[in-house]
Parts: sequence; C-alpha cells; structure tokens
Amino acid sequence: MTKVLSKLRKHATRRVLRFTAMVLIVLVLAYQFLYPPLFDAYVGKSNALLTYANSQTLSEREFEALARDLSRQARYTKAAASVGADQAPLARQVKIEMLMNTPSLIRDSEPRHIDYFREAGIRRYEGPQTCLGCHPRMKARGDDGHLRTVDTLDNLVNSIHFKFQTDTGGFSTYGYDGRRVNAPGSHRIPVGKIDRACGIPGSFSWTGWAALVASRPAGATGPVTLRSEGCGQCHIGGNYQPPTEKMMPVGDVPYEVKDGIDCLICHSTDYDMNQRYVIRDAHGLRWNQDRSMRAALSVGPARNDHCLRCHQHNMGGDAYPHNQAAQALGTENKRILHQGAKRGNPFSPEDDVHAAAAIQCTDCHVPDGHRLPRGRQGVDLVANDLPNREVSCQTCHTQTPHNNSPDRALLNGHVARLACETCHIKVLQDKNVVLRDWVHPTWNPEEGIFEPTDIYRSGAPGKGFTFLWFNGNGSFLANALGNNPNGTTDYDPLMQQMVHIRDPEVIAAVRAAAIELKARYPEIDIEAYVRAATDPLSQLSPALLERRRAMIDQNLRPVMALGKSRIYPFKLFNAMMYEDMGNQGPFGAMILPFDYPVYYETGDSRAAVVQAVRDPIVKRMYQRPFKLYMMDDFMSYFGVSGGWKTNYPLVNGKLVNVEPHWMRQMGTLTINHGIQGKGRECRECHALDGIMDFAGLGYPPERVAELRDPDQLKSAALSKTGDAARAKTPSVPGSEQSPK
Amino acid sequence: MSAKSPGPRRRRRLAAVTSLIMAVLLCTLGAAAASADPPADNRACLRCHGMATLAYRDGITGNLIDLSIDPGRLAGSVHGKVACVKCHAQGYRDYPHPQDARREQLDCVGCHREAHERISYPFEAIAGQFAKSIHATGDDPKLRGFGCHSCHDPHAFRVSTVGKPLGEIVMDDNAVCLSCHAQVTDPLSDRHRWLPKREAHWAAVRCIECHTPIAVGGDGAQRVSHQILAGKESNSTCVNCHSGSQRLLSRLYAYRSQEDLARDGLFGKAVFNEAYVVGLSRSPLIDRLSLAFIGVTALGLMAHGLGRYLAYRRSRGKQP
Repeated sequence: MTKVLSKLRKHATRRVLRFTAMVLIVLVLAYQFLYPPLFDAYVGKSNALLTYANSQTLSEREFEALARDLSRQARYTKAAASVGADQAPLARQVKIEMLMNTPSLIRDSEPRHIDYFREAGIRRYEGPQTCLGCHPRMKARGDDGHLRTVDTLDNLVNSIHFKFQTDTGGFSTYGYDGRRVNAPGSHRIPVGKIDRACGIPGSFSWTGWAALVASRPAGATGPVTLRSEGCGQCHIGGNYQPPTEKMMPVGDVPYEVKDGIDCLICHSTDYDMNQRYVIRDAHGLRWNQDRSMRAALSVGPARNDHCLRCHQHNMGGDAYPHNQAAQALGTENKRILHQGAKRGNPFSPEDDVHAAAAIQCTDCHVPDGHRLPRGRQGVDLVANDLPNREVSCQTCHTQTPHNNSPDRALLNGHVARLACETCHIKVLQDKNVVLRDWVHPTWNPEEGIFEPTDIYRSGAPGKGFTFLWFNGNGSFLANALGNNPNGTTDYDPLMQQMVHIRDPEVIAAVRAAAIELKARYPEIDIEAYVRAATDPLSQLSPALLERRRAMIDQNLRPVMALGKSRIYPFKLFNAMMYEDMGNQGPFGAMILPFDYPVYYETGDSRAAVVQAVRDPIVKRMYQRPFKLYMMDDFMSYFGVSGGWKTNYPLVNGKLVNVEPHWMRQMGTLTINHGIQGKGRECRECHALDGIMDFAGLGYPPERVAELRDPDQLKSAALSKTGDAARAKTPSVPGSEQSPK
Repeated sequence: MSAKSPGPRRRRRLAAVTSLIMAVLLCTLGAAAASADPPADNRACLRCHGMATLAYRDGITGNLIDLSIDPGRLAGSVHGKVACVKCHAQGYRDYPHPQDARREQLDCVGCHREAHERISYPFEAIAGQFAKSIHATGDDPKLRGFGCHSCHDPHAFRVSTVGKPLGEIVMDDNAVCLSCHAQVTDPLSDRHRWLPKREAHWAAVRCIECHTPIAVGGDGAQRVSHQILAGKESNSTCVNCHSGSQRLLSRLYAYRSQEDLARDGLFGKAVFNEAYVVGLSRSPLIDRLSLAFIGVTALGLMAHGLGRYLAYRRSRGKQP
C-alpha cells in the first residue's frame, strides 16, 4: 500500500517538476524571442546594432604616435600650471620641458589608460564592451557609507542618466490631487524627464529623439544645410529612440541598446563634441558619438567639463559664451543651438565661485556608482537616483557660513529663513527665457530655420526670476510649494506670483513682442495676447477657476505647510503650446508635442503637431492599455479629473479639440548654480523699492513696513519702561541686578 | 510587572516624576516671575535674536557663538516674563550694539542674591560649590569667562522639564556637558574606556552623578553639588552606585524609586525591583523569566516530593 503511494507521489513530483521546467523554458524563450519584436511593434520603433565610423583600429605606429601626443599634452598642461608666467619666454619653456620629463610629473599626469591599452593590446575602442573588458564590476559607496561591488553595466543601465525616468518613489513632487508622486502604496507609474509635460523643449523625447532639419541660411530658396536636433544629444542611451523598454514593468533593454551607451562623453577628457550630431543610416536617425582611440585613451573619473558638455545647456544655456560644447557643434549636421536659456545660471569658473575653486560636480553630487543624487529638494518631475542623499550648501558651509563681514551674525541669522541662493545668485543670464510662444514661430535668417518666439527674456530679479517660499516639494507642473512660517494663508503663489505678471516693464515688452508678431500673424489680437501671456488664469472658465481654488486649498495647502520653508529664488517660465482640450483641468491641459523638422523647416506649428501626433507612441498613448498603465494616474496628478480621455486628437488629418494656450501658471525652476561669493546688500531687499515682495510672501502689513525700512530694523522701538530701566542701571559688568 | 500597555503607565510615571520634581523644586519659585504676558519690548529684541540661526564663529577660537533665542523656549522658561532690558540694560537699542555693551557679564547669583522673595534656591551655596569646581579653578585657557550661563541657558532654563522620561532628562543634561566635552564620546577615544558598558552608562546616568562629590552639603533641597570634579578626582568606584547604599537613588533616580513605590506598592517593588544596584538586569522580560524559572523550579520540587510520597504509599500498600 505505502509502496504504491510513494511511487505515485514520486511520479507526481516528477511531473510537476517537468511541467514547471517546461513553463520556465517557454517563458524564457518568449521573453528572449517573442517579447522584443512585440515591444517594437507596440512602440512602433526598433533598435539595431550600431556602428561608428570613428571607431577605428590603430596600427602600432599610430597608437604610439597618439600615445606620445596625449602624454605630451597632459604633461605640458600640468607643468605649465606650476611655472610662473613672469619670466623670459625661453626660460619658462625650458623649465616646463624639464618638469615635463620628471618621473613624478609623468606618473601624476600621463593618461593611465595609455599603459593599460598598450599592455592589453587594445587598439580599437568598441564602445562599452571595451570598457567592460576590464571594468565588469565596480565599487560603489551606498548611503550606509560602505563600499560594495556592483555590476557596472547593470548599475549604469538602471541609473537615471540612462533611463531618465523611474517608477519608484523618492519624488518630492505632489500632484494637484494632493498625492505624492509614486508614494508608497500607490499605483506607481514611470515618470521623469522622459514623459513629463514641459514647455521648454516643446517635445517629448519619444517624438523628438533625433531629427535632421533642412535649414536654409541663405534664404527660403537657398541651398539646404542639414542640422541636428533632438533630446538624444544629451542622453547617453544612444539608439534610434529613448530607452522606452525601461518603462515597462518587465524586461531589460536589449544588447544593441546597451552597446550604444556613450561611456566616453562623461569619462573622457578629450571627447570631441564635434562628433555629436545626428546621422541617418539604413535603419533610421540616431546620434553619433566619439568612439575614437584619442577619446578612449583619455578616460578617467567624470570631471566638471565632462558633465558640462550636456549640463551647461540647462544652466548657462547654449548661447552662454563659456559653454564649451556649444563651440563644437559638429563636423557635419551641426547641432541647432537653443538661444533662450532654460535657467541662465552658469556653472563655470567665470560665473560660479565653486567652479572657480575647481570644486567638482561630484564633490556635492556624490555618486553611488553611476547613480547620482540630485538633492532632496526637487521642484520638478525629474527622477532622482538617490533621493535620500543630501546635496546642499549647508553640508560644507554649515549654518554659520559668513565669517568675513562685521554683520556676520545677522547674515547667518538670515539662513533660517533664506536659502543661500537668494542672496548669492544676483542675476541670471540675459537670455534666460521667461515666456516662449511655440505657436507663432519666428524665422531666424542666420540659422535659416523657424524658431519658437521668446516673447520675453530676462535675467533680472522680479522679472526673470522671483522669490518664493519653498519646503523642498513641488507640484506636478513644477511649482515651488511652501508657506510663510507664520502659518497664515496670505501667501498664495498659485493664485498670485505664478499667475500674474504685474511689472509694467515686462508687460510693455510682451506688448512690443506681440505687435512684432502681429506683422507676421495678423490674426493676433494684441490685447488678448498680452492678457493671456501675463494673466494665464484668464484662459480658465469660472467653473475651472473655482475648482482650482478648491484644489489648491484642499490638496496643496497641506503640502505647502510641510517641513520648514525658506525663501528661494525661482526662475519663472511659461509657454504657449497646443493642448488637447479633452484632457484639461484647472492647472492646464495635456501638451502636444511638435515634430522638429516640420516645425523648424516650415514654421507651420499646427502641421508640426499633426506630424508628431502621428507618431506611433502618441497613438498608443491614446489607447486603453496606456491609459490603464499610467495615463489615468498621470492625469490625476495633473489635476484633471475623470481619468485620461482617449479621444485621439487627430481625425482625418485634422486636429480636433486642440487649442493653443499658455500653461495656466508659470513653472518655477530651482536655480542653484552661478553662485557669487559676494551676496546681496541689505538694501536690495530691505528698502521701499526692494526686490523682495514681502506682502506677497505673506507677511502682515506692520511686518512688511518694518522689513522695508532699514532704519526701523536697525533701531529697536523700546518702550518708556525699557528706557527707564536702562537709565537707572549702572553698567557694571559682573554684577547684574534688577531695579525694582 | 502588570500587563498594562507601556503608554499610560509611562505617562503616569512621568506625571509622578514631574509632580515630585515640581513639588521639591518648582514650588519655591517666587511670585515675581509669575503672571503677566511676555513684555512687549522683547519683540524688538527678538526681531533679530529670534532668528534661529543668529550666530557666528569667534574670530580667534573658531567656536560657535550662538546669539539666537528661541522665543517659544524663552516664554516657557523661568525668565519668560522678564523683559530683556531688565538684565541686558546697556544700550542695545541700536544695531550694531556698542562694544562696551557686548562686554557685560551676567550671572545667576548677581541677580538672585538679594532677591530672596523671588526664589529661595541656595544660590549662595551653589556659588561656593562652583568656586571649588574644576570649571572655576582649572587653568585651561578655554575656561576664561566660564560662568553659570556656560551651562545653564538663562533664556531657556526651566527648573524641570515637564513630561520627560528620565532617560531624556539624562540625555538633555549630558548634552550640556557634551556641548564642550564632545571628545568624550569620540568612538576612537580611550576616555571612559575603563567603564564597563560605557554606552549603557551614558544613556542612563548623568555625567554629574560621578563628576561631583558624593556629599552634596547640608541643604536637602540640593541633590547634586555644583562642584564639578576633574576626571581623576571623580567617582570611579562601582559600588558607590551598585550597592545597598545606592548613591544614585538619592539623586535623579530618587524620583523614580518613589514613583515605583507609589505605583507598585511596597511588595510589588520588592518583587519587581528594577533597580540596577544589586546587579539585576533592569529588563522586565528577564525579571519575569527569572520569576517564572523560580516558580517552575518550585513546582518541579513539589512534583518530585509528591511523586516520592505517592511511590512510597504504593510500595507500602503492596507490602503485605
């Protein structure tokens, strides 16, 4: 009996095991062979193995010549830095030459990979596989301070620099519905720069990854020059599309995408930004990279000028004179420069005290492997690898940063209420864009393309940026959240500072721009245009306005009251774009992207939207799986009730229910770089015509009067009793008594 | 120990501790500091000194000079009703304050000596003890200017902190010492290395329990002397605390002991005595386990005796 039973059991176990193994094998095979083509079919784009013309095999002679060249260059730079310039040129040259050949200087300055490559016989740089040949694993220091070994490629592919979105928590962003984005326990959606609504770039990375634009610098009928444009110029995952695979709940990016990673743009000292342009091959459009041996031999840890190849774009801007990458636009298909700056706060030795002190980006943004911290205070929806790691002035400067001024105690006193940036960023670059009209482009004769019209740019306080309470949290459309610590509700930024431009100079400039635009777009009603640009709430119906008020009070007020708020400077920004009015709420409607070539070449902004909306991924966005997977939550955060409406806005080639609008409030972007050693003078804020709107910041009238009057601030209005007590008391140190 | 949740029990204990401390000390506070709201003039001073980060680093020593006064803590302190200018009466009207005003030296005794109607706390005795303290007699240049306010913040001083567990009182008290003697807790330092379970001691015992003379002085109101002893003169004899004549129980823990009595009664305290003095664990769990072990042993013994008795009877019954 028992024998039969055990036999049966054994048999059953074997069957279960066999079945499980079969299922596993089928799943693995399906994932390996079925999932990738299905995924490609779904998003309408596919990847391919990439080749790069500049990835060439060097002969021994070529290698040695390059090595000698690089070594000499590195040794010269190091030696020249320590030989004074105040001597005869020949004397200096001789000293430099001597230094250059000392063993210690060679050891300290010669690129180390020359020897490594020489020994390993590496004569061609083949992308990540060359790097991973020696660096399959790396040491990373976690938040606990301990070093651990991680898989280099895996670590990189899961970093925000690669995937620029995350479906994990760690956002300091709150939806207009009052929910923290991807809070624990919520339905988590992939969000980040890959899909956030943003009016500055005017496009999604999905539809604007890599584009070749036919420009006509000699005039509308002149010869065509191809120009490169697209989000891929700054993102290291270099295939024919952004790494969308990472937005799925399962799956990894395929090999050919990993093989396209540009290690050298971050790690090489001699990376040639002239190699960074769009190329068209048999498969489609993609971004070229510098995969030369020259770049590969000069690798090392990421230094400031490496980071700034991309990040000066969003700080100083493309048109910033000290933007090095903007001086090397490409040996062909030159990249299009964006004239209006996103922030206008450059990080460079010329304009930032930390850069001048050779402090490295990674000194403050201390990485954990390839994951970098952004700081705990993010106003926008940019994903953060290390949300718990602090990046702040205080880490180095403590709470008593001022040691030089006779007023140092009082200056330190301000730290409790003011961020360092409030005083130490005095102006932004002039080209800082505040109001950008995407709907009415302007012909740029020099570049030979139509560009969005920046109807107002300014770097001045009160105009290009303003001062707001900030507790480290932001709204879904990048509005700084915070409140006056006095706890009143007099501070009301989403109905005041962020929705009204009241400065007469700014309004006059907007009007002048509108008049100029009207010459090309006769349908523009100047007064209506100025009103919408300077009072975007005027675009809302009374019902939506009422709903907005209620949502601010119910959903955002509690978030504004969190933590300790301080006054920070915020760059202001608004854009007019086409919106899907079927998905509108009190804070805005879903922005539709532009197709770059159509936009730049024809200046027909509507046609550019039509073309972009035709993109397969946008079609998918208006289908049910996408709605359920993320768009319902996305819209709830956006402040749009009733979920994502899947009415595809393109019917028979015509846009339906699509209107041009300004976003209903200005976005506020944090500015943390471009720090000046010398801060503001007291009177810049504490004066009748000071730059700080104390009333708007929620201070009561008597306090506002006091704060605007330096004399009152410097002299205590003591009452008679106080005076009397003072008069009667002899000043005898050591024996204090109280007069009765 | 009862099965009650720790919350209400702790609260009761706190209430008891608080009331006891208040009864012993706080009741002696004079009437002068009572009634009336904070003086209106204080607002003018707090406009700057209420800034939480009003501070600077001394240009010579690099030490942090904290000039900020927490308005909330000031209002809740024993001096909360006193106008700033009553003590600081030397021309602070304008900013920047004149140099001679900044040189003023204030101490507790100067104000409290003559004002007995205000408080009958033995300030004179304290002054005498302090004069013998290492802080007054030491020749370290860092001790220059050491006074009452080096430890006791007159703008936040409260006789006892209402509603605090003893552990927190210990921590707060020690924080005063550690604000200068931070090197004591340096994990790489050898100081106090001789002390068994160093961290446990620091968490449960105030620095001053060992670093003051055992005999406080004649006045019963004072449980701890202000004569701080140098390291080598301080108590390092374990049995001063861990013995029948527990030194600690006459100090801060006196309140705990009395409160235990009030809560558990004499018998309960005798059985569940959590005192650390005779080597008990202070862990309720281990206390209970030991009791259970004793109980089980007793039961085992009884069962054994009963078994033997029954076996004896059976064997007797079998015999003819």
